[in-house]
Amino acid sequence: MGALLLNPTPAEQEFSQAFALARPGLPDAADRRQAFERFARAGLPTRRLESWHYSDLRAKLRTAPPLAGKPDDASKAFAKSELEKHARESLKLVLIDGFFSTELSDDFSGVAGVKIRALSALPSDAPILALMRDLSPSDPLLDLNAAFAQDGVVVEIAEGLRLEKPIEILALCGANGGGSRFSRNFVALGEGARASLVETRAEGVGGFGDSALFLVLGKASELDYACRAENGAPVEVQNMIARLDGQAKLRATALVAGTPFLRRQIFATCAGEGAELNLSGASLLRSKEHADATMVVTHEAPGCVSRETFKYVLADEADGVFQGKIVVPPHAQKTDGKMLCRALLLSDSASMSVKPELEIFADDVACGHGAACAKLDAAQLFYMESRGIPKVEAQGMLIEAFAAEAFDIMSDDSMRDLLKTDLTALLESGIFA
Amino acid sequence: MLDIENLHVSIAGKKILDGFSLKVEAGQVAAIMGPNGSGKSTLSYVIAGKPDYEVTSGSIKLDGVDLLDKDVAARAALGVFLSFQYPLEIPGVATMTFLKAAINAQLKARGEDEVSIPDFMKRVRAAAAKLNISQDMLKRPVNLGFSGGEKKRMEILQMALLEPRFAILDEMDSGLDIDALRVCAEGVNALRSKERGLLVITHYQRLLDYIVPDVVHVMSKGRIVRSGGPELALELEKSGYADYASEAA
Repeated sequence: MGALLLNPTPAEQEFSQAFALARPGLPDAADRRQAFERFARAGLPTRRLESWHYSDLRAKLRTAPPLAGKPDDASKAFAKSELEKHARESLKLVLIDGFFSTELSDDFSGVAGVKIRALSALPSDAPILALMRDLSPSDPLLDLNAAFAQDGVVVEIAEGLRLEKPIEILALCGANGGGSRFSRNFVALGEGARASLVETRAEGVGGFGDSALFLVLGKASELDYACRAENGAPVEVQNMIARLDGQAKLRATALVAGTPFLRRQIFATCAGEGAELNLSGASLLRSKEHADATMVVTHEAPGCVSRETFKYVLADEADGVFQGKIVVPPHAQKTDGKMLCRALLLSDSASMSVKPELEIFADDVACGHGAACAKLDAAQLFYMESRGIPKVEAQGMLIEAFAAEAFDIMSDDSMRDLLKTDLTALLESGIFA
Repeated sequence: MLDIENLHVSIAGKKILDGFSLKVEAGQVAAIMGPNGSGKSTLSYVIAGKPDYEVTSGSIKLDGVDLLDKDVAARAALGVFLSFQYPLEIPGVATMTFLKAAINAQLKARGEDEVSIPDFMKRVRAAAAKLNISQDMLKRPVNLGFSGGEKKRMEILQMALLEPRFAILDEMDSGLDIDALRVCAEGVNALRSKERGLLVITHYQRLLDYIVPDVVHVMSKGRIVRSGGPELALELEKSGYADYASEAA
């Protein structure tokens, strides 16, 4: 084993060394080795890999921070103090450096129909592990995650269950926040179940993160999912893999801010007839922040609906990326797919890269995409100012209105309110002042 | 009250106001009439402080305070209000949020306390009822999908709530049918007071049947070319603007 690339970067070499060291202690050795070999053959993605064209991870990740270990007492104490900042009405599942902490998580024993386990507690022949492998598309960062991830949380929601309170996966960092963190989380909804899920990624400060979240929606189940990515690590990759059975509905949004270099990749498949997938996101970036949302939506079954609505607000030299691909194989007739990306550029030095793609092999479909980049509307600003609203406040109101539209896809009002409250707080904290 | 002296204004190098002077006293309603392109809308924008216009010389003072060195919001806080010829739609911003932000921003600029929510609701409801503005309209984003008449009524509602010292009505009658015109004009007339000055900009005499001015000015080629009483508007209605276009040339 070892690096298979001709000229590995220091980071690639360090990942190889880390893997060689860690492997003897990790379960599922064969799968991990295969995953790592795939990663090592491809290396960290560069602009030459089309799907990574606008996020040059190889250039960005010069060195691989050491693997974050299982949280010690100091890390648990640190995470516990961090947890206090996240007092919200939710059923919390806490990860520290990617490791599931039962101590800090809420007690689910009284919540009938919801089964919570640590990923590391699954037997190596667990069908969930096989399912996660099967659902994973080929991608170097997903391979890296599969090679290194030691833990995460597994949530199974029983058939027909309607959860009132949202479940929140809260990813915190330990006392030494500078490591490489890998977590692998899995949420499955049984037939007809309905739930809301918040993922709050507050690992921040340092290091490197490469997390994966698998969402498996059974027949006619419904999930509202919101990812809150605020104050991210210097380099972070978030993977979301979703599969929807027939008539299932997934509404997934994200609020992204304060991320020096974030790549969110979404791989979603409408696997059963009549599934409805609604993806959105609002990214608010400044200074040299970079946020990339890249998604592949595959309509495996006929008669499915997919929508993507992504908003970017870019100040200073911030850099936004949207790549959306809708894939419709020949048998997926009556597919209805629409993709929209809109960016608001607050400075001349901000940049936005947009690449929508439609790959359609069926003949009876309605698919479309649109993209627009613009400045704040001067006429609207003048109108608001003429009523006495100072310019900065008027700009804030227009930005908020623009970004908040991404959250309208949530059907759970409390989720929408949570995101809008976050958005207002972000703007009031003066990120664009 | 409002005192404009020898104002010269250009946009993109083109001269629009050319030595424009005007005084409006407190309690007075002044009408400005004039042909297309005479500079009427520019005048309203320059008083309100719209960017893009270059004021090369002259002054605009409200109660002796120079407006030209103030930004748009500061002018509004001093009491300037412009009812837009074409009010803007602002998707995503709720009307009530917008109204409250405007009222509170002006109160804050004057060093006063913010309006309480119950007081605010009460004032909006009372003012809206007088202008036939439904609760449903108030729940929508600012002007979004409103008809021309609804937008103009919303302008008058804002004027009623903001209680400006000096208000400019830029072609309030455009896009209004007779009934809507009457409702808007009644709204404006209810706001006439000894302390408030009004500048009514229009092409047509018809509006002045509803909002009867104290003085009528005729504007052509960027300046006032004639002034008189309400009868001047009637005369213009008969003779048209042809004479004035040549007078200013």
